[in-house]
Amino acid sequence: MKFSYNWLRELVPGLASAPGELAQLITMKTAECEGIEAAGVLLDQVCAARVESVEPLPNSHNVKATVDAGPHGHITVVCGAPNCRAGSVAAYAPVGRKVVQGIESDGMLASGAELGINRDHAGILELVEPVGSPITGCAPDSIIEIDNKSITHRPDLWGHLGMAREVAAIVRQALSPPEVRALSASHGSSPIRIVIEDEQLCPRYSALVFENVTVKPSPLWLQYRLTAIGLNPINNIVDMTNYLMAELAQPMHAFDADLLRGGAIFVRPARRGEQFRALNEEEYTLEPSNLVIADAAGAIGLAGVIGGMDSKISEKTTRVVLESANFLASSVRKTSAALKLRTDASMRFEKSQDPANTVRALARAVDLLEELSPGIRVVGMADQQREIPPRPPIELPLAWLERKLGRAVPPAEVRDILQRLEFGVEEQSGGVFSVTVPSWRATKDVTIKDDLAEEVGRMIGYGAIPPRAPLFPATVPPANPERRFQHEARELFTGLGFTEVYNYSFVSEESVRAFGLDPVSYVRVANPIASDQALLRTSLVPGIRRNIVDNQKHRDAFRLFEIGLEIHKREAGLPDEIPHLAAAIYDRYGDGIAGLFEIKRAAECFMPGAKVCPAEAGPEQARPYEHPARAADIIWMGERTGRLFELHPTLLEVGRAAILDLDLRVIERITSRRLKYGTQYAPIRRYPSSAFDLSVIAGERELAGTLETRIAGFAGELVESIAFLRQYSGPPLAPGQKSVSFRVTAGSPERTLSSEEVSEIRQRIIEGMRGLGYDLRL
Amino acid sequence: MLGQSIRNLEADSLARVALANNAEELEAARIAAFGRKEGAFQQIAKEMSKLAPDERKHIGMLLNAAKQAVETALECRKQRFAQAALAARLDAEWLDLTLPAPGPRRGHLHPLTQIQRELEELFLSLGFAVLDGPEVETEYHNFDALNIPADHPARDAQDTFWLKDGFLLRTHTSPVQVRGMEKLGPPLRMVAPGRVFRNESVDASHEHTFYQLEGMMIDRDVSVAHLIYFMKTLSTSIFGRDVPVRLRPGYFPFVEPGFELDIQCLICGGAGCAVCKQSGWVELLGCGLVNPNVLRLSGIDPEEWSGFAFGLGLTRLVMMRYGIDDIRLLQGGDLRFLEQF
Ligand SMILES: [Zn+2]
Repeated sequence: MKFSYNWLRELVPGLASAPGELAQLITMKTAECEGIEAAGVLLDQVCAARVESVEPLPNSHNVKATVDAGPHGHITVVCGAPNCRAGSVAAYAPVGRKVVQGIESDGMLASGAELGINRDHAGILELVEPVGSPITGCAPDSIIEIDNKSITHRPDLWGHLGMAREVAAIVRQALSPPEVRALSASHGSSPIRIVIEDEQLCPRYSALVFENVTVKPSPLWLQYRLTAIGLNPINNIVDMTNYLMAELAQPMHAFDADLLRGGAIFVRPARRGEQFRALNEEEYTLEPSNLVIADAAGAIGLAGVIGGMDSKISEKTTRVVLESANFLASSVRKTSAALKLRTDASMRFEKSQDPANTVRALARAVDLLEELSPGIRVVGMADQQREIPPRPPIELPLAWLERKLGRAVPPAEVRDILQRLEFGVEEQSGGVFSVTVPSWRATKDVTIKDDLAEEVGRMIGYGAIPPRAPLFPATVPPANPERRFQHEARELFTGLGFTEVYNYSFVSEESVRAFGLDPVSYVRVANPIASDQALLRTSLVPGIRRNIVDNQKHRDAFRLFEIGLEIHKREAGLPDEIPHLAAAIYDRYGDGIAGLFEIKRAAECFMPGAKVCPAEAGPEQARPYEHPARAADIIWMGERTGRLFELHPTLLEVGRAAILDLDLRVIERITSRRLKYGTQYAPIRRYPSSAFDLSVIAGERELAGTLETRIAGFAGELVESIAFLRQYSGPPLAPGQKSVSFRVTAGSPERTLSSEEVSEIRQRIIEGMRGLGYDLRL
Repeated sequence: MLGQSIRNLEADSLARVALANNAEELEAARIAAFGRKEGAFQQIAKEMSKLAPDERKHIGMLLNAAKQAVETALECRKQRFAQAALAARLDAEWLDLTLPAPGPRRGHLHPLTQIQRELEELFLSLGFAVLDGPEVETEYHNFDALNIPADHPARDAQDTFWLKDGFLLRTHTSPVQVRGMEKLGPPLRMVAPGRVFRNESVDASHEHTFYQLEGMMIDRDVSVAHLIYFMKTLSTSIFGRDVPVRLRPGYFPFVEPGFELDIQCLICGGAGCAVCKQSGWVELLGCGLVNPNVLRLSGIDPEEWSGFAFGLGLTRLVMMRYGIDDIRLLQGGDLRFLEQF
């Protein structure tokens, strides 16, 4: 929302702060100022000048004009405007000399657009002012831009009068609002009838009927004022409604009365499928949730949003119905959102405008139209409204206010602040103020005493409240073991050389298919930014693969990981969000084995004692994005905690990537269980253990882990550990065979084992393994 | 006679020790002097038995003195050789320690992780719980319970990704306030860092995915003065020094009164620059006293309890702290960027 500094100063004549200072004050007390722009910078130098003679220049549409520029004297300018002709009075701006087509041109004759008065570039601005005079009502201005978000709750601040009221309260100067004549008394009943079907949706509909209207361009002061705040001057009638919207925050609409059918205006829900051609020349098909303004034949306006094409004001218009109404904010917003049609009117109505404002705006319209369209006659006024009971006053206990702000404010100051903002203040007994809210703040903005605390707080300034530590009992906050565990996981993986990445939660159908997964099982965004960001990830691995592809352009080898949420669809209710850790070790060179064992080591550091278990059922168990012969489950404390695999080689152009994909929810649960019921101390062994080595001959693809489990099955209670030593294949072993060596350690807490006991254990294992069909090398 | 032999033997032995060039020659000298069978001193000891008792005593003293002198010389020389040998070994073991250590370097935590941890620790130390909420939220928790009903214009400020069944991707971490109130009730002190989503096109300064930290405290008679205290504590902790802050009115439907908290621009120190749009101030967070409607919606009596809430943009904060000029880098996964933190 743009505010004209000059306009504000007209409404607060005592305002002494410069625009920059004022913007600061508004920011600190009311709403956020986003910046200040200069408007009409040339206007303090411009004067009316008579074109005395015009000489065409050869081979050019330019002319050489001599002008009488009053205090600047008789001057020669080169001008390209088609309307530059002798005898006319134009706007002259002394902007310096330059030579154009060999002629010294001193200053320029300016167009409305060049001066910032309107958007007309077509010709020079013609004036009615006497030669040498400035343009009436047009002076350089500063436009203060207020962030719309910061006035969402303030219907009154969508007009200059509301902002001026704030300014007056801030700088402690009097507000000087335009005088408003009493309308209803001086004007007869309306020749038009208003029928409101639902007074909840339309609490008030006021309309004034004028005749003998002349539709023509507005005077320059009005065009300039609208242009400066970003509105487009159109004609005197439309400009008047826009001007009053910018003054009072009350949107209005003018209908050509002769184009209305029947003698009544209906405010009613649209009929299903009703067609409506709006002023923006779009055709809309309406629903009963859209409130319309209609005549006997159909919709002529979309209530609070936009007028209709069929009753539009034109040069032929002589009779006008001027609508000044109030509509329910949520209804306007719903319609405007459903039709994707946001207008200056809908933006204001959806903030809950003040119903008391409709007639005030009509009265101001009469004032303005007498200037803008001399000879205009008011035919009559209609004003249909629901009984709106006044809001009861809000009780403001001053002791409560002090507790809320954390600082005492003297009662006289509280009263003064509220009264400057035009609240009514009555003192009740016992330090309680009874506060009446002015109508323009009462629609939604100020309803409870907390709202009044804000009024007082912002006006004393929050800088005036000293910070204070609270006096509350010290308590240990509830723990968040999941989050703490994730941080520990991050520490571990960074310690092992992995760098943390954050990837998006969105994935594309294409990438899902590339991973051999089914997009149907994914949670889908109804309104994605782009079609390739429509699904929510059910795995972190596709993101990690993207990171690998991107980074291998710059690096030959690297490690990275992410901790994030997998989002899985559920039958009903919110999706299941499972924290996962995905880590990768990439190497451009080599066979990928080192990376897989490195990442296995990381998994074992993270989950001490975890086992890597390739699927017994064979490679068909692997997922489509896994290397089918290099993939395994990770089992920890009897639970499946994740997958370890090499990324399917077809998913990378070059190099290999070992991947770890872990379910942190399960791992955290196991970890905290271990911590809670964890380890019991066992005395350090006092007696030495004995060790012996065994080599098992097995098939080439037999798993070392399986052999170890089998050995353990024969070992008995005295065996402390079975450790893999090495494996070997080649001569003298037969092709397809390998020898796997283990070191078995045995001992007892009570004594040193005798050599007989040790060899008995060894013998038992050997025989047991032979019984399973294994050959042993001893 | 024997006395002379002892003196000669001592002189010879000392000379031999002194002339030994290495440990082996020294050992030969030792054996020559003290060898159990052939050693020269042993020979003399044998001769001594033939002497008269009082002469034997005299010669015995001479012999001991000579033995002592040779043994001392031997020991000295031996140590000298050991030291030389050690020095030679150590010298041979010279190593170039500027060579790089094998194995991977330590990895790097994402800057957003670092700032989250820092703030979590701060608030934990102040007695605040750290809570998590789902990234996919209900419309109720994300909007309605925060005093933003459907058709409320404040919904405009938060372009929302909608899923099915009225679910959505949370547009702020504020729904965790609601979940905190539901789960823990008053009194309540909590923060909730996390990922949020807005349906916005991405460019250098806009992201559809970013991070916030929500905070809330509910107790008896929580005031603006308390809020200011915590916000100052927060900014001092974040920037490591007392940065000037200012509180000005700001509108968020779930607080009343609501504020924007600005900090003095770190780039220009308040003089005005491009980063702060010449104002000297930069927005850090939004905050306010919890709107009584919000308390009521979560079943808390606003006459009995009051509170404050704040929402801090972690992504913006990280960008401010490290001078990151392109928001997309944070979720771009580029190690050349991430390894700087
Ligand atoms: Zn700055």
